[in-house]
Amino acid sequence: MASYTFKGGVHIPNLYLVKKPEVRQVAPPEQVVLPLQQRVGGKQKPCVKVGDKVLTGQVIAKTLGKYPTYMHASISGVVLAIEKHPIPHPSGIDGVCIVIDSDGRDKWIEIEKCDQDFLRCAPSKVIQRIREAGIVGMGGAGFPTHIKISNAQGAQTLIVNATECEPDIMCDDALMQHYPREIIRGVEVLMHGCGARKAIIAIENDKQEAFNSLLMYNFNEHIEIVQIPTKYTSGAEKILIKTLLDIEIPSGEFASDYGVLCQNVGTVKAIYDAVIDNKPLISRIVTVTGSAVKEPRNYEARLGTSFASVVAQSKPNNNLHQIRMGGMMMGVDVPSVQYSICKTTNCIFVNNATLKPSTQSCIRCGQCNEVCPVGLLPQQLFWYAKSENMDRAMDYNLRDCIECRCCDIVCPSHIPLAQYFSFAKALYYKQTKEKQKTDIARERFEFKEFRVERNKTERAEMMARKKEELKKKMAEDKTQKDKIAQAVARVKNKGVLRK
Amino acid sequence: MTVVFNSTSQMMRQVIYALVVGISVAYAFFGWGVIVQILLAVVVAIVVEATFLKIRKHLIKPAIADGSAVLTAVLLAISIPSIAPWWIVVVGVSFAIIFGKQLYGGLGNNPFNPAMLGYAFLLISYPLPMTTWASEFVNFSQALDVIFNLNSNIVDALSGATRLDDVKTQLGLGKMMGELNPYSGAQAWVNAGFLLGGLYLLARRVIFWHIPSAFLLGMVVTAFLVSLGDGEYLPVQNHLMLGGTMLGAFFIATDPVSASTTPKGRLIYGFLIGMLIVIIRTFGGYPDGVAFAVLLMNIVVPLIDYYTQPKVFGK
Repeated sequence: MASYTFKGGVHIPNLYLVKKPEVRQVAPPEQVVLPLQQRVGGKQKPCVKVGDKVLTGQVIAKTLGKYPTYMHASISGVVLAIEKHPIPHPSGIDGVCIVIDSDGRDKWIEIEKCDQDFLRCAPSKVIQRIREAGIVGMGGAGFPTHIKISNAQGAQTLIVNATECEPDIMCDDALMQHYPREIIRGVEVLMHGCGARKAIIAIENDKQEAFNSLLMYNFNEHIEIVQIPTKYTSGAEKILIKTLLDIEIPSGEFASDYGVLCQNVGTVKAIYDAVIDNKPLISRIVTVTGSAVKEPRNYEARLGTSFASVVAQSKPNNNLHQIRMGGMMMGVDVPSVQYSICKTTNCIFVNNATLKPSTQSCIRCGQCNEVCPVGLLPQQLFWYAKSENMDRAMDYNLRDCIECRCCDIVCPSHIPLAQYFSFAKALYYKQTKEKQKTDIARERFEFKEFRVERNKTERAEMMARKKEELKKKMAEDKTQKDKIAQAVARVKNKGVLRK
Repeated sequence: MTVVFNSTSQMMRQVIYALVVGISVAYAFFGWGVIVQILLAVVVAIVVEATFLKIRKHLIKPAIADGSAVLTAVLLAISIPSIAPWWIVVVGVSFAIIFGKQLYGGLGNNPFNPAMLGYAFLLISYPLPMTTWASEFVNFSQALDVIFNLNSNIVDALSGATRLDDVKTQLGLGKMMGELNPYSGAQAWVNAGFLLGGLYLLARRVIFWHIPSAFLLGMVVTAFLVSLGDGEYLPVQNHLMLGGTMLGAFFIATDPVSASTTPKGRLIYGFLIGMLIVIIRTFGGYPDGVAFAVLLMNIVVPLIDYYTQPKVFGK
């Protein structure tokens, strides 16, 4: 029986609470910047040129291959440039982006309304629509949704992740309050697409309004809406599955192997738009919050809209800011607001820049292992990660760390534990790779040694054989010579006798 | 659960606050000596710690501010007799800070409990002053006299043997348990004070329940088994309320740096300490065994931790 709760985790109060999350529509911007780099699934190739006119919803880039993923223009206008721009990534690297200048009309590409009931479409058709709409996991991971659904064909259960467990993010909360009908319908589409007979929508119990509104629109007896405790990491896929279904997916295996498909609630809404309205994914809801904004709020903005233009509407103060994309737990710090909203941007934190408290020594107090949802011992892992003792770190299951940062925030010594673990994992993979390389090199070298040695002996044997043959020949030659000499002698003797 | 502590120093401060009850009770029975020893120990600890940090070229202020040196000093000061001469505390605290902590690389790197290392060193080296306890309330001037050796005659007048030592000797002399009644002594009250402080630490989540409960259970079980044997042995309840039992269970064995850190490991660690204490008290040469039991178990902590890892999700 499912427990509807899980071991570990942290309850983090929302600091910037909004009573009823509204969603403010952001007008299509003057310019959008759309990065070609996808998180998963390779780089997209532009299929427009600089100077081309594009319409809203038009395909402007796609990946190569049999099942390409698409990117669509989020406004209508002219392709101004295809060039490198900073993309939201912790390293601050640049990536190739398509820049579109608006013509101010937001003219849509012609959309053929889907007149037939989706239930009469084959699931493969549904998946195709999802793929063509350019939908990726909107909870933050950005994994192409069509691949995930294809891998989970014949799933028993569909889990809709509406936990929104990161504190202060409220975009899913608002989404559920504003589009409950669409979400329920989207769940039905998805159930049809993957073949699941049962769906569970999981919501943290601090979002009562969202729960109520979904409940009001749910007339499908196969869709269950469940409230789970408000505790961070409740939304981590494997933990959520354990919470709801009491299935513990073994380390290294996937939910699809166990007949479960997990999808974020934002993705479900995008699927509704794609399959029912035949609209590609060109906008999303973003939460803007943090200590430096006066009005934390949700915005529905076109993809490619700059952070700066939405942040400005939340009335930031004039202090020095620390910008973070994504939640305060799993998000990444970015150097400025000169980035554009992409499919996975669920939240923009604008905080007053503060000094981080200085790190103290680890005293192994054990607060961290109390909150680890995976059941690791961060205090031990830290010791081995710091000393780069990888074998021991692996003995303590470093590999299973999900880098949720629960241990970080309870650590009284303010040690950035997850950062150590992420580094240690990278180091381990590097070392294993290097070891493989040196293993190959060693094998090669040993084979070369062996080959040289073998050639030597073969050569020696051949030489010996040849020598032998030569000797034989010489010996034969000798008998021949003897015979000739004898004949000569005989002739000579004859001559002598004649004289 | 939620975020509990903002800093390591805050945890250390909680432990020091929790000691106040026990210290007050000790003061009520043994007088000013208790306070003087603590103050002296704290001053020595800070001076020694600062000196060594300077030698090791580390920042002095943050390391002093973490409160660990002060805590070590207080724990050691309340473990030694309140009328011990001043150099006992100076030598003990210096040893604890230098050999117990700094030489291993400072806070977090020491395999042994520094306070208990200092205590064991003192007990082995200077057994007489380490087992001579005040037998009445000592006022402030008397305390200064006896600690700083200003009046050499006063020691004998104020002192007696450790309660546990006394029990052992008396039992050895063939007296019956009933005649001794060691339960009513001052030490029982001091133990009760530390028990109270320990419960506060549990409530504030500074320590976890595993070590203290396993520690006390280990003592009860072992004391019970011992009492089944022939001869007169200290009854179970007296084991719990005498000597360093409560201080050890809640404040010494729970030092996170040197203790086992896995939930299961903490249970094993605590239980074995409790067991060793009773064995040392009953069959060993020293009256109390908290320090030795803790140090012995410190050695096996890495082994316990390795073999008691909790179950990992999906494994």
